[in-house]
Amino acid sequence: MASADPTLIKCVVWDIDNTLLDGVYLESAERPPPAKPVLLGVMRELAGRGILQAVASKNPPAAAGYVAQLAGLDFAAAECGWDAKPDALGRIAAGLGVVDAEMAFVDDDMLERAEVATALPGVLVLTPEDAADAASWPQFSPPVLTDEARRRGQLYAERSRRQAAASQFSGSRAEFLRHVGTRVTIGPATAADLPRLHELSLRTHQLNSTGEPHTEEELGSLLSSAGHEVITVRLADDFGDDGLVGAAIGVRGTGARQAELTVPLVMMSCRALGRGTLDALLAWLCRSAAASGADRMQVPFRLTDRNVPFRLALVSAGFRAEAGRRSPDGLVSFSRPLAGDLPAVPDYVGSPDQP
Amino acid sequence: MTATADQVASELRELLAEVTGRAELRSVPSATALFGGGVGLDSLAGTLLLRQVERRYGVDVAAEDLNLDSLETLGTLAAFVAARM
Repeated sequence: MASADPTLIKCVVWDIDNTLLDGVYLESAERPPPAKPVLLGVMRELAGRGILQAVASKNPPAAAGYVAQLAGLDFAAAECGWDAKPDALGRIAAGLGVVDAEMAFVDDDMLERAEVATALPGVLVLTPEDAADAASWPQFSPPVLTDEARRRGQLYAERSRRQAAASQFSGSRAEFLRHVGTRVTIGPATAADLPRLHELSLRTHQLNSTGEPHTEEELGSLLSSAGHEVITVRLADDFGDDGLVGAAIGVRGTGARQAELTVPLVMMSCRALGRGTLDALLAWLCRSAAASGADRMQVPFRLTDRNVPFRLALVSAGFRAEAGRRSPDGLVSFSRPLAGDLPAVPDYVGSPDQP
Repeated sequence: MTATADQVASELRELLAEVTGRAELRSVPSATALFGGGVGLDSLAGTLLLRQVERRYGVDVAAEDLNLDSLETLGTLAAFVAARM
C-alpha cells in the first residue's frame, strides 16, 4: 500500500494520566507521579522534527505545567478540564490551524480512544504502546525519509482509510464489514504463533477475559496438551492484513462434566474492536463445541470497568452469569447451553486451508 | 411507560444514532431488540452508548446490571435508567 502516502502528522495530542505519567496526577498525595521516559523521549524527538506537541487531560491546568517541566518543552496547546476528549481536540485543532487528519491522539484509555475515533474519524488514534515506536512511522517523518514504514504504522494508515470509508458508508456495520471484504480466519494455533500469543496476553487488558499474562512456555505446553485446544483468529480486509488479532483456549471437562467446554482465556487486540471479530469468535466456539457433543460452554470472566465491551459481546452471544457467584480467584462464570438458538457465525468467517 | 421513561427513550434514540452513525435509529421502536437482528448493536457501539448514558444521567448500567439485561430493548434501557435517575 505504498502508493497512498499517509498524511504527515503536524500535531500530537497526549493524554497525561497513565500515558505521559506513570500514574494518576491527582491520586498522588505527596508528589505527582514520574514521567514514562520512553514516551517523553518520543515526544522530544517528534518536537525536534517540528511536530507540535499538545496535551488533553482530565486534570487541573497545573498537570500540563508539571509535564512540560519534566519534558523540558513547551506545549503548543494544553486542554485541561473535564470536557470530552473530542471537544478538547476540536479546540486544539482550531487553535493551531490543523485539520483532523494532521493530528494524532495518544491515550491509554480504550474508551477515550474509541470516543475520539468515533467523533473525529480523521484523527490518528494511538495507544501508548503504539506511540512508543511512532517516531519510525512515515506519518511522523517529515519530509524526505520515506524508507520502509514499520508495519504498525502501515496498519494505522490502512485503518485511517478504512475509517474514512466507514464514515462515507450508509449501511449497517455488518453491511460495511462485508462491503470492505472482511475476512476472519479461525483455526488451531501452531508453534509459530507462540510469540504473538504471548504478546497478546500481555497487551490485551481490555479485551481479555481474565487479564492473566501467559508466557510462551505456558502457551506452548497448552498447545501440546491433548486436553486443550488453542484457537487463533486472523483478520484482514481490502484495506490490509492485521494478522493474528486474537485467540481462545478451550478445555473439555472430564468425568461428569465431560459435556462442558470451558474457555479459560479469550483475548483480542483492540484493533479488532468494531470489526465483528470477537462476536464471530464466540459464535464459532459455541458451534464448534456443540458439533463435538458439548452441551454447555462457560467463560470465566474478571469483571472490570474497562472490559465492558467484552461483557457486551458475551451477553449478545447469549451468555449469562449468576449474580453473586464468584470463584475464589474472583472470576465470574458466564455460561450458556449449547442447544437451540446458537449465535450465527458471519459468512465472512473461514477456516485456514487444511494441509 | 411513564412520562420520564418516554422522555429518556427519545433521548436514547438520539444517542443511539450518534454512537452508531445511523440516522435511521432516531425512529427505532422501543420494543426493537438492541442486539442481534434488531438494531444490531455491536460491543463498541454498546460501550459508547453506556458511556453516554452514564455521562448524561449518572447511571452506571454496567456496574449495576451484571448481565446487561437492561440492554434488551431501547424500552428496557429507558425504564432502567428512568428508575435510577
